[in-house]
Amino acid sequence: MIPRPPQGLADLAVKLATAVAPETCSRFAEASTGMISMLLLALAQDMERAVAVRMEDIDELKVLFGDVPAEAGVDSQARTAFLDARPASLRLSDVEALHAEGLALLIDLHRWAEQADAGLDERIWAFLVRHSERHRLDLPAL
Amino acid sequence: MHPALRTLGERFARYLASRWNEPVELEAIEQIPGGASRETYRVRVRSAEGPSSLILRRDPKTSLIDTERALEYRTYAAVHPTSIPVPEALILEEDPAHLDRPFSVMREIPDCETSVAGLAEPGRSALRETLGRNKWTLLGQLAALDPEALGVTEFMKAPEHPAARELAYWSSVVREDSVHPQPIAEAAIRWLERHLPPPSGRVCLVHGDFRTGNFLYDADGEIRGVLDWEMAHLGDPLEDLAWSLDPLWAWPERTLAGGLLPREDAIRIWEQASGFTVDRRAFRWWQVFASLKGLAIWISSTEDFLNGETKEPILAMAGWVMTDRQNRILVDRLNPEGDHRYTEPLV
Repeated sequence: MIPRPPQGLADLAVKLATAVAPETCSRFAEASTGMISMLLLALAQDMERAVAVRMEDIDELKVLFGDVPAEAGVDSQARTAFLDARPASLRLSDVEALHAEGLALLIDLHRWAEQADAGLDERIWAFLVRHSERHRLDLPAL
Repeated sequence: MHPALRTLGERFARYLASRWNEPVELEAIEQIPGGASRETYRVRVRSAEGPSSLILRRDPKTSLIDTERALEYRTYAAVHPTSIPVPEALILEEDPAHLDRPFSVMREIPDCETSVAGLAEPGRSALRETLGRNKWTLLGQLAALDPEALGVTEFMKAPEHPAARELAYWSSVVREDSVHPQPIAEAAIRWLERHLPPPSGRVCLVHGDFRTGNFLYDADGEIRGVLDWEMAHLGDPLEDLAWSLDPLWAWPERTLAGGLLPREDAIRIWEQASGFTVDRRAFRWWQVFASLKGLAIWISSTEDFLNGETKEPILAMAGWVMTDRQNRILVDRLNPEGDHRYTEPLV
């Protein structure tokens, strides 16, 4: 067992890129090994934060949905259910399922806000900036 | 040589022997990295005519881009006699009996490379500039070619409204292939629908993926072969220009388009070579569209990686890493309060 998985994955990625890739017998294998190394680095970054960043998204989405009027173009039952929901567990798959529900509702809300509520549209864009930044991957050039 | 690779090479040599009606011996075969839409191999064979260096492009079990191989092959053949350098198309074989899947064969263009990663080093700026000038000159020349005279109108349909057709197609890719809701892509689609430009009246052969990395160049910065025509179609010339300038192709560099030239220099060179003046309002639309099209391809590759037969790392790279970057580019482009962290201001 690797006691600190993100660090373990990152160390393995570096090993793969620096010790294994140069020893492969073809350019194709070397390139594939390099990409797998990058993906391990991405996994290392995401493993540490995956549940946390999705929960931050969910919490911010609840604030957005809590503010909107009843006529907003969002299924009110689905919105109420989302506002009351918690992930079935803190396993990533359960958090991901609730996260997907929230993002699907956001698409409907954004469509409505673009036409009817400039302030909400602005807040949604601010959310999308934070959302895309908190999921960002910082990787070296391949 | 990996046994499976040798077997493939030997089967290919037997196919050539049958087709050329003479003995053909395999000398070497290697798979070329980077090709996501086709498996690409460099093959050296020897026949009574002497040695031949060939590029074999075989359909993969799963592809990054769902494309029409015959269209791509016929486009190579149509463009080959023009000023746009492309590999010579030799064989299109659609019967999967020979190598398990359909394939095409091109003549290799030797002594070239595709990566520009080393050109960022100090002392290589002159080569970088030469290459950039050649790149956007060729793209402008491509836009200026007459599709009728090229013969591509025999197998490509000219759209009445190029922007509307492209948006409809790539929106459908986003919606059919998403495995998770995509609020940024959906916001981009709505923006593009609201700002759809009227047809410019100019219809040309659009390469569809003309970017740094998709051409072969030599040590002098001469482009010897433009590759990967699988997304070629008839459309608006601004589509290719916008795609070539997407910030993704220079990531994380922000000042040099495609890692080669300042963006405005590239546009000026393209205008000179094409004879067209860029309509900045329409171009803004095509820039947003280019980023959406990129995102659609990455979303599609996620779906391919998760549900498809092959588990090539390039599909996962595209589906995860490129999606992340393209999402940030699109947010930066469309957010009214955006600070242009990743993109230039749209004009």
